[in-house]
Amino acid sequence: MTAVQRRPNTNSFQGAVGKQIQKILPNIVPPMVAIAIFLVIWQLFSWTPGAVLPGPIKVVEETKTLILNPFYDNGGLDKGLFWQVLASLQRVATGYILAAIVGISLGVLVGTSKVMSKALDPIFQFLRTVPPLAWVPIALAALQKNEPAALFVIFITAIWPILINTAVGVQQIPQDYRNVARVLKLSRSKFFFKILIPSALPYIFTGLRIAIGLAWLAIIAAEIVMSGIVGIGFFIWDAYTNGYVSEVILALFYIGAVGMILDKLMAKLQTLIVKEQ
Amino acid sequence: MPQFVSVDHIDKIFPLSNGGTYFALKDISLEVKKGEFISLIGHSGCGKSTLLNMVAGLDLPTEGIVMLEDEKITSPGPERMVVFQNYSLLPWLTVRQNIALAVEQVLSYLPKAEQDSIIDHNINMVGLSHAADKPPGQLSGGMKQRVAIARALSIKPKLLLLDEPFGALDALTRGNLQEKLMEICEESQVTAIMVTHDVDEALLLSDRVIMLTNGPESQIGQIMDVNIPRPRHRLEVVNHPSYYSMRSEIIYFLNQQKKDKKLKARSNTVTARYGLEKVNLEIGFVPLTACAPLVVAKEKGFFTKHGLDEVKLVREPSWRGITDDLVRGYLDAAQVPAGMPLWLTLGGRDGKPVPMTTSLTMTRNGNGITLGKKFYDQGVFSLSDFKKSLLQSTDRVHTLGMVHPSSLHNLLLRYWLAAGGIHPDRDVNLTTIPPAQMVSNLKAGNIDGYCVGEPWNIRAATEGIGYTIATDLEIWLGHPGKVLGVREDWALAYPNTHLALIKALLEACEYCADNQNSEEIRQILCRPEYVDTVPEYINIGNPEQYTCSIDQPLRQYAHHQFHGTGLNRPSRTEQLWIMTQMARWGTVPFPRNWVEILERICNVSAFSTAARELGMLEIGYKRPPIQLFDGTIFNTDDPIGYLNDLEIKSDIHIADVILDSPRAKVA
Repeated sequence: MTAVQRRPNTNSFQGAVGKQIQKILPNIVPPMVAIAIFLVIWQLFSWTPGAVLPGPIKVVEETKTLILNPFYDNGGLDKGLFWQVLASLQRVATGYILAAIVGISLGVLVGTSKVMSKALDPIFQFLRTVPPLAWVPIALAALQKNEPAALFVIFITAIWPILINTAVGVQQIPQDYRNVARVLKLSRSKFFFKILIPSALPYIFTGLRIAIGLAWLAIIAAEIVMSGIVGIGFFIWDAYTNGYVSEVILALFYIGAVGMILDKLMAKLQTLIVKEQ
Repeated sequence: MPQFVSVDHIDKIFPLSNGGTYFALKDISLEVKKGEFISLIGHSGCGKSTLLNMVAGLDLPTEGIVMLEDEKITSPGPERMVVFQNYSLLPWLTVRQNIALAVEQVLSYLPKAEQDSIIDHNINMVGLSHAADKPPGQLSGGMKQRVAIARALSIKPKLLLLDEPFGALDALTRGNLQEKLMEICEESQVTAIMVTHDVDEALLLSDRVIMLTNGPESQIGQIMDVNIPRPRHRLEVVNHPSYYSMRSEIIYFLNQQKKDKKLKARSNTVTARYGLEKVNLEIGFVPLTACAPLVVAKEKGFFTKHGLDEVKLVREPSWRGITDDLVRGYLDAAQVPAGMPLWLTLGGRDGKPVPMTTSLTMTRNGNGITLGKKFYDQGVFSLSDFKKSLLQSTDRVHTLGMVHPSSLHNLLLRYWLAAGGIHPDRDVNLTTIPPAQMVSNLKAGNIDGYCVGEPWNIRAATEGIGYTIATDLEIWLGHPGKVLGVREDWALAYPNTHLALIKALLEACEYCADNQNSEEIRQILCRPEYVDTVPEYINIGNPEQYTCSIDQPLRQYAHHQFHGTGLNRPSRTEQLWIMTQMARWGTVPFPRNWVEILERICNVSAFSTAARELGMLEIGYKRPPIQLFDGTIFNTDDPIGYLNDLEIKSDIHIADVILDSPRAKVA
């Protein structure tokens, strides 16, 4: 609560900008250098005799049209990378939201009830370890169609971290808060919204953040297996079967970038909602 | 008036994860009146928070019930609001929202506007209106605690429960909050129970302090009424005359709990050797010049000479500590005031008679009555001067210190005052203070004078804060001072050890009485483990010493007598005198079976055997009849008649004191 005495800022505006750049530079230069070195090494490797995969220069040359025209749409499966990514993202969004709703509800249930927790925990622990790809055949067999099967795979992959983290978050509500609720005789709904959810929120968000990564992971795997749909996963598979290795590598960059952006967005959301406590 | 809160014989047993159980609280009963402020104090783990939780209803007792206004407590509820130790504010809500959560839930029957005004009022009351919209994370610890208190008070609980509310705060914040809490409690007439481990906090805030013993099976060890008038202020309560005695009482209790734990853990073996039943003895003493025989017996090898080669001298801060440890068996023997064996036997401690026995008088004399310098400046040089001075200042109560109700200091001081026409309980106030704390209390003005053994009279004179108005020379020359005290069952269980102890101490007394040794003894006594002072304050063996003046020698010092013909023999006559004096002031009842009791107290045969075996023949010696400075001769044949003839006395009661038949302690 003490007032921090700041030194009066006598620097000129230009000086301030210079300071700003000086501040950012140490954060930007090292990754730039690292990326450059990585590209150089990659290029060098591709020049070695017997190398099969293209180097970065060749990749850019071969996929120029795709890079420059992400929005083209020739109907069918022949669409620009933007559309491919968007289709995948839509699937992720649907499956993920479903997973979040079901996961948080079940998590609260498991977290509040000792019996439920004891009964369901072994099942969860078992199902959690099944890899996303293993669900694909079952999903296809059960749901017959590609689209719902893909959604199911995302759902079943993303739900576990959400569910388990929510349950832990609810179990970890400090006894002090529970005592406050007991002494005040708070109603169930008040307890839920004023204490349980706010208290478990940091845990829930940790689960959501892990889940979004997993969901993105799962969709690629699922799409690769499911032929004939628009999506970045199938795009890779299609390119591979046609021998367009450069396109595969380009799609890889897209996937990585999208995954990273999703994670960062989630982190941002987390800091926005879960205020400093 | 019916009790507001009543805790009725509750036990609490916790199951442990390993399948066992932990008996936390045992048989706790407590009643709280409406508007009362109660503190629970005790060491960590004594179950004080558990007790609070059971009143709150957060936890239920295993046995017994807790009632609030004749209603059994079975679950928590807002009429028993808790201020939790770590604030327990919801971090995602602002200060106002935190309080609103409670108000909206509990006072939901009130219109919204009224609820808002209650919230505002409570935020203002704790002085946090500027921070009402901040989340708790932005507040300091003290502010958070204020929010917690405001939240608790906003719903107008019948009972406020505080669990170490200020424990985590710095001293300054704590002090301010304590004042604030007192103000609020007085304004809204709150009944409160507080758990604390801070003695000063307990005294400042409470009407009663409940002291809990250490767990497992914690019980209420003691209950203290804090009769400091309200409104109280943090800086003023310390000036209340009984503040420090109450404080030291609580600290004594807490220390005793700590000690108990250590002693319980100690191995309780009895080492027998050389035909003695027990050679590992713990003997208690209080740091005074009079402890010389014990110290000499230890340092000059008299204990070892008689086979007691594992004697440990235990320095106790007060006579209270000596009696407690003797009764509980942590001490084998102790140097005690001459009246203490009788006092314990007659049930002076908690009304439960503990048969004691004494077979050796270790010292005589060595006491004095010291008055503060202001009396010296008034020209008070005699008892009648003192009375005149008291009559002139009836507007205030004069407090005199003495060391223990059973000590000769108390009895002689009372006798001296009464002989001068001053009633020791009505005209002045007598208070118990450990010997070593007399000088500092006199200096601080807590007391106006005292009667104590050396070196503490000399200390006051040399420091110029007081002077000796009377010594043994003018009260009772040669009165018994300190005796060897053991429990009767101990003496019966270890008769040979007892004899060896008497012999060793008797020889040590002889050594002390030899003037050639006095310089050496003074040096030994000054050591930190014994009296811890400088040789100038220790007077042994130079009777020319004049001690009692600030400016000029006024009175000759009646120095300690350690040994001499008839000096060490326990005397039934003297014990009878002590008995009548203690009965005179209502300290103990006068026993109808006084002859039997005297015989059990004074074990003359053990002394005679010891003296004979040492070749100190005293057969046929008789001490002269007891005559004190006022000329009254004490008649040993008719003590009750003597008591009835006294003019100044308290209510005397005569009763049969039934003692268990003598039985040896089961080791």
